[in-house]
Amino acid sequence: MRQKLKTVRTSITCSFLFAVLAQVMPAYAADADADALKLESTPSTEPQAPQDTKIFVEGAVGSAAQRYLPNNRDIGRISLDFSHSARLAPGLRAVISDRIDHHAPKLLGADSTVNSLREAYVSWQPDGGNTMLEFGRINLRYGPGVGYNPTDFFRDGSLRTATTVNPFELRENRLGSVMLRAQRLWTDGSLSVAYSPKLAEQPSADGWNLDLGSTNNRDRALIALGTQFSSSVSSQLLLYQEAGASPTLGASLTALLSDAAVAHVEWSNGSEPDLLSRALSLPAATVNRNRVAAGLTYTTPGKLSITAEYQYNGFALSQSDWANLGVTAPAAQFAYLQEAQRRQELVAREAFLIYLTQKSLGLKNLDFTALLRVNAGDKSQLVWAELRHHWSKFDLALQIQQHIGNPNSEFGLLPDRSVVQVLGTYYF
Amino acid sequence: MKSAICGLVFSIFTVCGASAAQSAEEILAASDAIRNPGKSFSVTVTLTEFQSGKQVDTSTLTSYARTQQQGGQFASLIRFVLPARDAGKLMLKNGNDMWFYDPTNKASVRLSPQQRLLGQASNGDVATVNLAKDYKATLVGTEEVQDGDRRTRKAHKLALVAAAPDVTYATIEMWIDVENNRPIKGRFFAESSRLLKTVYYRRFQPQLGAERPTESVIIDGLNPQSVTLMRFSDYAARTFPDTWLQRDYLPRFQPE
Repeated sequence: MRQKLKTVRTSITCSFLFAVLAQVMPAYAADADADALKLESTPSTEPQAPQDTKIFVEGAVGSAAQRYLPNNRDIGRISLDFSHSARLAPGLRAVISDRIDHHAPKLLGADSTVNSLREAYVSWQPDGGNTMLEFGRINLRYGPGVGYNPTDFFRDGSLRTATTVNPFELRENRLGSVMLRAQRLWTDGSLSVAYSPKLAEQPSADGWNLDLGSTNNRDRALIALGTQFSSSVSSQLLLYQEAGASPTLGASLTALLSDAAVAHVEWSNGSEPDLLSRALSLPAATVNRNRVAAGLTYTTPGKLSITAEYQYNGFALSQSDWANLGVTAPAAQFAYLQEAQRRQELVAREAFLIYLTQKSLGLKNLDFTALLRVNAGDKSQLVWAELRHHWSKFDLALQIQQHIGNPNSEFGLLPDRSVVQVLGTYYF
Repeated sequence: MKSAICGLVFSIFTVCGASAAQSAEEILAASDAIRNPGKSFSVTVTLTEFQSGKQVDTSTLTSYARTQQQGGQFASLIRFVLPARDAGKLMLKNGNDMWFYDPTNKASVRLSPQQRLLGQASNGDVATVNLAKDYKATLVGTEEVQDGDRRTRKAHKLALVAAAPDVTYATIEMWIDVENNRPIKGRFFAESSRLLKTVYYRRFQPQLGAERPTESVIIDGLNPQSVTLMRFSDYAARTFPDTWLQRDYLPRFQPE
């Protein structure tokens, strides 16, 4: 009887609570709405016209723990980044984009101050923008891959200084190639043709040199066909040719799989010398190989985006050849690593990348970005993480980087064991 | 005098008859036509975010919206203006085909609808959307509601259910002014029936041939202390080809 009474009492209490909540919640929502409707934006948020100039300065200080020396190495850098787009006439624009990096102490084999004239070109768009003609130093980039781009044919030699391992930020520093480029657009598609002539023989170590020897040391041409199959699938088909080599075919595809998932795949096939032969300037026959990057990006409702990517480079050394090279010619391993870095090539035959970003990590303007690169052959790893806080014109970031692996591995061989640095960026 | 009275009575009956004959779809379409011009246009959007009544962030965008030949829905090309770090970045939204382009690293990245670029405002909020094209509407009834300027208005209450697969919200409750079909308020729900946001439309001003709301107040459904004001200014009629609304055009975009 007592139990029954208790049950009845409980159900009455619950009903009462539900009734109270049912009354209170709309009132609470109405109060919240009333509070929200009192809000006004301040006069400082008056709308502003788009700017044609973008300038920022960035400073970095840090320390690197060295693998082969007992002391830590200091890191110091200040950079000025400038880009401007000027309208010369209807449909005619001039674009210039430049960056100056000053390193203290200076980087090995480079000047303290390095200027990168990334872009300087004129763009003409007659015909309402459906046809475009461009001439000058143009940063032409293809491929949806995150950490490796087999169809980004103008990537080799394009980095004068590497200030980060984050693939997205790394692309901000790259030099364009001098070229003549034309593009025709139609509904759901485009065709582009680019011709980049040979203008210099060798790369220049002079910090203020235009360094055409890095970007225009051979005649090159590229045709790219872009197709939008549906609102969720699009592709690019590319044909690349450089003087003295056979054509390279490339293709890429991106697809929206769901509200939260995007897939990408990128592939190229060509005949060329393998990467070691290029690194050691060995006379070698060309071999026909594939390059692949394929991945998936998933975003959670909590604004966490994770990308997992598989990477393959048929021109890279196999794990057994890499290990043998470490035993027979360790210096050649360093040359191989340097050449891979210069060409922005994959060192390993197979590798994996995990890239994640979390917006608003606990705080409104605090972002977390991290990446993990894994050499599938020797299992060595590169781990990089960044915490970045945004203010209206200023960013403050803390970056940590770790190279993990045995002494004969890709990342275990690098001179820095770990790097910690603080960066401040001011946007004008 | 008699004929004048008869005329007045006839007019009243005609107006009432027209109003009574207006279907839910027609009311929604009329409301869409007030929110959005019926032709391609550009508009400056200023987003101001508040947390517990305190302004925490602000950003400015320019949106170029084009009515699509198929379906009559809008496709939007959005250029970031402020903050300075994001200036020049672009977002393309053409249904579920969404791309983000950063001119500094030349990267065109396909986005999924879940990837937000703009804080509390979803990509769908910033892009121009005709709800009547994407949702099936039914008239629930007539209610008195408080509008964005805190005045009580008599409104049609419409229940909207997604009719297209690529929409941002599963269901929507819309309150539309009985007198003039102005949108007053919307409550936007996820598939799980969770309230995602409440939006008030206010500050009606003449823009491109009609009195249009020039400010939206977006209240987060989970955290009502998180509020975003979206202000629309500098409306201008624009014509641009549909060839611009694809990934390969983003690096070429040169707004005049």
